[in-house]
Amino acid sequence: METITNSIYKIQQVRHLTDSTYVIRMDRGGMKFIAGQNLNLGISGDVEKRDYSIYSGEKDDYLEVLVKEVEEGLVSKQMKLLQPGDKLEVDGPFGFFTLKSEELDSKKYLFIASGTGIAPFHSIAQTYPNLNFKLIHGVRYADETYEKKHYPSGRYVSCVTSDDEGGFKGRVTDYLKANPVDKDTLCYLCGNVNMIYDAFDVLKEQGVPSGNLHAEVYF
Amino acid sequence: MKTKLTIEKTMKYHILTLGCQMNMSDTERTKPVIEQMGYEWTDDENEASLVGILACSVRQRAIDKVYSRIHKWNKRKNKENLLTFVTGCILPSDKDRFLKLFDIVFPMSELQELPEMIKQYGIVTPLSLKSGQNDEPIYQNTRIKELKEKASELKLNEHMSDFWHINPHYESDFEAFVPIQNGCDKFCTFCAVPYTRGREVSRPSKEILEEVQNLIDKEYKTITLLGQNVNSYGLDKKGEEISFPELLRQIGEMGKKSGKEFWVYFTSPHPRDMTDEVIEVIATYPNLGKQIHLPIQSGDDKVLIRMNRKHSVEKYREIEKTIRRLIPQATLFTDIIVGFTGETDVQFESTRVIMEEFRYNMAYIAQYSQRPGAVSSRWVDDVPKQVKKERYHTLTQDLMKTSLEHNNKMVGRTFRVLVRGKERKGDNLSGLTEGKINVRIYASDDLLIGKIVDVKIKSATEFSVAGEPVKKVELQSA
Repeated sequence: METITNSIYKIQQVRHLTDSTYVIRMDRGGMKFIAGQNLNLGISGDVEKRDYSIYSGEKDDYLEVLVKEVEEGLVSKQMKLLQPGDKLEVDGPFGFFTLKSEELDSKKYLFIASGTGIAPFHSIAQTYPNLNFKLIHGVRYADETYEKKHYPSGRYVSCVTSDDEGGFKGRVTDYLKANPVDKDTLCYLCGNVNMIYDAFDVLKEQGVPSGNLHAEVYF
Repeated sequence: MKTKLTIEKTMKYHILTLGCQMNMSDTERTKPVIEQMGYEWTDDENEASLVGILACSVRQRAIDKVYSRIHKWNKRKNKENLLTFVTGCILPSDKDRFLKLFDIVFPMSELQELPEMIKQYGIVTPLSLKSGQNDEPIYQNTRIKELKEKASELKLNEHMSDFWHINPHYESDFEAFVPIQNGCDKFCTFCAVPYTRGREVSRPSKEILEEVQNLIDKEYKTITLLGQNVNSYGLDKKGEEISFPELLRQIGEMGKKSGKEFWVYFTSPHPRDMTDEVIEVIATYPNLGKQIHLPIQSGDDKVLIRMNRKHSVEKYREIEKTIRRLIPQATLFTDIIVGFTGETDVQFESTRVIMEEFRYNMAYIAQYSQRPGAVSSRWVDDVPKQVKKERYHTLTQDLMKTSLEHNNKMVGRTFRVLVRGKERKGDNLSGLTEGKINVRIYASDDLLIGKIVDVKIKSATEFSVAGEPVKKVELQSA
């Protein structure tokens, strides 16, 4: 197996989805990964690095990450200014927030994301087009439903808290309470730790065993 | 530019090893590399002309020690010839600073290059004199600069296979560490190891088995397989390398064939990679030590999520049940952090509940402190120091109850005990059972050190038992 460590990747495109959120597309560079994994990256030559879930699918001939600009951030603010041709130092892939290949055809999946926590699910959806899943995405404003058209019809539900547009008005947990989850569903949660904690409690109350709950926290 | 050659009559070196068993093991491989240049070890760093540090980045205190020591050494440089180096677990941010303070900075995977790096500083060793290399222009500022630039670019783990080829100088005649894996891909939020040691790299099993066989031949009594995530062995080379349980199985077979008594352990495993197969293999072979160290860190699922541990309490429970079912005599050890960022009273109580449920023989309990470079070091350390202290005290009391119960059950029974040395105070010997329970042995015969003997347990305390060697007279005269 090829080991890729601390390699330099050239940026192809920076796609701005909102004022503070953007997708960086870079050369694939032969990197092998499993949808749901993440990369540790930073500007080439800079000591500061951060972890970002891979946004693109396994079969895409490029790599993408979804980045939210953090105020006072040492990486996300600087990366926002990058241009095609600039270079990133990439280490990875890492992580175990992936689906078991033997369960792909037989299981029902519930993906729960807040904000840019949608990135691994975007990668999963691109990789496994026939997957039986529902994706619940918690955001404050409707314009944060990043590239929702990329998901098959009827599989994406936005839960919007601060404006009236979007699929469901309210928090992710409100949606889960209104739409109880089947106990056999495999639940994957990604995003803000408070959302994960709250959703975790709701799902446990609904009888989903902890073995069916998988979480990846964004810090 | 040439400068006057430095020729020492007796070239001595000293290494300060900080941190864990992995650094101790790495030191065992660093020493022969330096000694092959003609250096001799000294316990007194003031006598040494070459001084180095195997650094640890787990806690700020260990980092502070590196800075304190290099400032002291750099003052010595005003009066004498002194060469300094640092290696081990180094965060990228510290590496940049170390490059300005130390003469040589390198990742452990580049250890074999150390003699060449030393030579570039104009140190003439018996080895270089023999090879006639002392005629070369050896002290060039530009070369040193190049060397430092190279050091700043060196990749972690790139040449680990070269490092593993080095024959170590084992510190003990009867207990040995064998590195089998380096680095970590787990990224627990409280830990900086993935950033200091790099990604998981498995050592070729052929080399491991050869080293273990060599230790068996030399009558070693304990062999500890080392890795930051020891039971993820082979996962980085799936299809090309054997799995961890298969490695254990082959070592078990070697033990069986040898007919010798010795115990093989491994540390530190991660619950995520602790498969039933690993436990089955340990149960099968007598030489695989019946002691399992399985860090849980917290008994609360939400804290585990925040720690990015990638396992739930339920997953851990399944492993614990399998261990109890297949190896009922096994002792179970763990690691726990109390007062992790955001840990509530209720969440701490969950940890108390699992302490009671899993009935550990030993738990290494730590009060959470921010570790530089770890993800959690960017968060507010919001559990007050006093609360951490109280939780530490409470959990230690809980542990003491169960460990005393375990130890009391040993009283009146006879156990095989590896005699490790003399107690710090008094004449008694001390040792460890196969389950790594501390034993005070009421005997003072130095000849027993390094042997596995029968000890009848007479009394127990929370963290140790005490007893007398069986057939004391015969053993002492042996």
